[in-house]
Amino acid sequence: MSRLNNFSNRLFQPSQLRENWASTISDHVIDLAWSPDGRYIAAASVLGPVTVFEGHRRSIIHAFKGHEFGTMAIAWRPDSKVLASAGQDGKIRLWDITSGEATHALDGGAEWVEHLSWSSGEKPILASAAGRKLKLWNAGGDLVREYSDHQSTVSGIQWRPRVRQLASIAYGGVTLWDPKQAEALRRLEWRGSSLVIVWSPDGKHIATGDQDSTVHFWIMSTGDDLQMSGYLTKVREISWDATSRYLATGGGQEITVWDCSGRGPEGTRPVTLSGHQDFLSVVRFQHRGKLLASGGADGLVYVWQLRGRRSSLAVHEAALTAGVTSLVWSPNDQYIAVGDESGGVSVFSIS
Amino acid sequence: MNTAMLNDQVPVTVLTGFLGSGKTTLLNRILTENHGKRIAVIENEFGEIGVDNDLVIGAEEEIFEMNNGCICCTVRGDLIRILGNLMKRRDKFDYIMVETTGLADPGPVAQTFFMDTEMQEKLQLDSVTTLVDAKHIWQHIDDSDEAREQIAFADVILLNKIDLVTEEALEQLEARIRNMNSAAKIYRTKDAVVEMDKILNVGGFDLDRALEVDPQFMEPEYPFEWAGVYNLSAGTHELVLQEGPDPAMKVALVPVNASTDEALEAAVEPVVMVFSDDAYELSAGGTLQPSGRLIALNLTADELRFDVQIDRSGAYALFTEHHPDEFQAQLSGSGALVKPVVEREFKPDHEHDDEVTSVGITTPGDLDPDRLNDWISNLLRTKGVDIFRMKGILSIKGQPDRFVFQGVHMLFDGRPDRPWGEEPRYNSLIFIGRNLNRTELTEGFEACLA
Repeated sequence: MSRLNNFSNRLFQPSQLRENWASTISDHVIDLAWSPDGRYIAAASVLGPVTVFEGHRRSIIHAFKGHEFGTMAIAWRPDSKVLASAGQDGKIRLWDITSGEATHALDGGAEWVEHLSWSSGEKPILASAAGRKLKLWNAGGDLVREYSDHQSTVSGIQWRPRVRQLASIAYGGVTLWDPKQAEALRRLEWRGSSLVIVWSPDGKHIATGDQDSTVHFWIMSTGDDLQMSGYLTKVREISWDATSRYLATGGGQEITVWDCSGRGPEGTRPVTLSGHQDFLSVVRFQHRGKLLASGGADGLVYVWQLRGRRSSLAVHEAALTAGVTSLVWSPNDQYIAVGDESGGVSVFSIS
Repeated sequence: MNTAMLNDQVPVTVLTGFLGSGKTTLLNRILTENHGKRIAVIENEFGEIGVDNDLVIGAEEEIFEMNNGCICCTVRGDLIRILGNLMKRRDKFDYIMVETTGLADPGPVAQTFFMDTEMQEKLQLDSVTTLVDAKHIWQHIDDSDEAREQIAFADVILLNKIDLVTEEALEQLEARIRNMNSAAKIYRTKDAVVEMDKILNVGGFDLDRALEVDPQFMEPEYPFEWAGVYNLSAGTHELVLQEGPDPAMKVALVPVNASTDEALEAAVEPVVMVFSDDAYELSAGGTLQPSGRLIALNLTADELRFDVQIDRSGAYALFTEHHPDEFQAQLSGSGALVKPVVEREFKPDHEHDDEVTSVGITTPGDLDPDRLNDWISNLLRTKGVDIFRMKGILSIKGQPDRFVFQGVHMLFDGRPDRPWGEEPRYNSLIFIGRNLNRTELTEGFEACLA
């Protein structure tokens, strides 16, 4: 492809990613989830249907009808036996992978259910966010708790690693919840709109990507927050590396990687990675390794190796025919699954 | 960005108007009209409308401040979320209508299409269309910021329910609206019946059309609202007022050559100068004399009577800051009422507190891009809050193409347009906003000419 030409003058050529298999679903891949046991990849179409593929082959295990008007998010229960989906019919649906049946249709509490997050550990809890409503469900689909409404639409939720606490973001900041309490545990206020929240794997920091082209970084021990600005667009692409030291961020065509060790990223010079020809749509570190994968509206996929400010480079690349919308690593970090705007789902191997 | 991408942008109409102005009627009409478009409607309350193929989505107004509370940086979070999702579908809609609540501020809605890269790339704000209830708007136009802003932000204004008001009242309303927003297309409608091509794909930002402004509305503003020429005989007359909306009123009494329109007209410019001076305060019971001085009548006493001392019989023009009717002002001499022989109003009625206006500038010549950039940046930084809308066609020195731009508050979007070719090069721009200083804007802009 011509857009790769400008790399020809580089000394180091990234190698082509090897495609294991590729398939197509009905429309724009709005979410992609690799089951924790590595056996399945679920791909949700913006139109509604959710397709479950075998992780290492192209074969389709289940074609769930998903949600009328459109699916918005999918999430595997930690035991990989149940897939939860959320959609524009106001429902959270639980799909049994063994039987292929829809077992539950739960009311999210608003027209659109937009976010889902399973806690880890014994007796996992599913958190759902619909409009201003945040609800908790047990593994069997019973309502555990319904919190009083947020002041604004919940724009993201994620369970804290290591501790059973849930963080939610909405216009106005971050709220921390303990599933055992009706009242919020803690509020981290910020007068702005966050679009995505990611806990550092050690549970010590929260990073949010924001509508006003900034990234916020919260230190849980002190409640202090730092703000990184200078992004070209709103920031929806953020990812922590396994060591909780590096935070990769999008918000434009370049990837910016902050070193959050020591006193944090404020005032430091980040590593920037260029190569994408259009806005990024996803950046994602491996679960345990140091590689960073990225996808953009240009249809390009890169795998980057971080080696300091000067010598970080793309080691692998692939070009899709449509813009990348989602990208996930396999649980063993050996593969990436990529979804695109035209419904393409591809799996590439790294080694 | 290439042209193909621009053509992919889905047009959006933002529909505003007070409750009862006919928004739902118009929406129903648009959805049922056979125009062959697939329309998605985003509305604040779920209505009963929507036909096959179309989609109606309910939205709850969520205003997000982007930048520490600056009103120019507020957007509608709900729209970003809903539109973002809508644009992901392959079976895209041909057209999107966003209906706002009657009390919504149109600023954040319009800004949403400028401030978010994703919105800017995939959607094109076609127009802000405002429905005005011709009968009931008078209740809001003076004391509701929302009503005024909905008019000021509009590219298209439908004066609806014209069957409920007289032609005279319509003329008056239209003049009032023109004064606030001289760039909008105004249509008079009954039951919101209007041809679809006046509503959809109007290209509110098509500046060729936007700037077809009736020149009479470009006339300068005057510091007074009324003037009358009286034939006064030598002696003492009396000016009597009643309590009115303001605690003081500036007036000037000057001799004129004759009691004719021409003589009044000749006095206008000199009196504009008089009104730029410091006023001399006169309390009730004081004496007013014809002079080149500006007098501020103090209107806080129980009895508002002023003596008018005339030394020589002749024609005299009285210029008043507000319309004399607002104070039931009357001039009398020797016990009899004296009526003006000639009078003139300088602004439409009900206009005394109207701070929302349009300022249009048209001038030939090429602009120095650096000076223009500095001026615009500074203007938007300092006056962005008051500038609701701004549109223009510019001739930049050394550039073969016309440069077109538009803005909402301090957000600015400009690009080269088609080549000038044989057409004479000129600059034409319009500002719509609150407390705009015409002289300052015009001089500032003209200083950017190369």
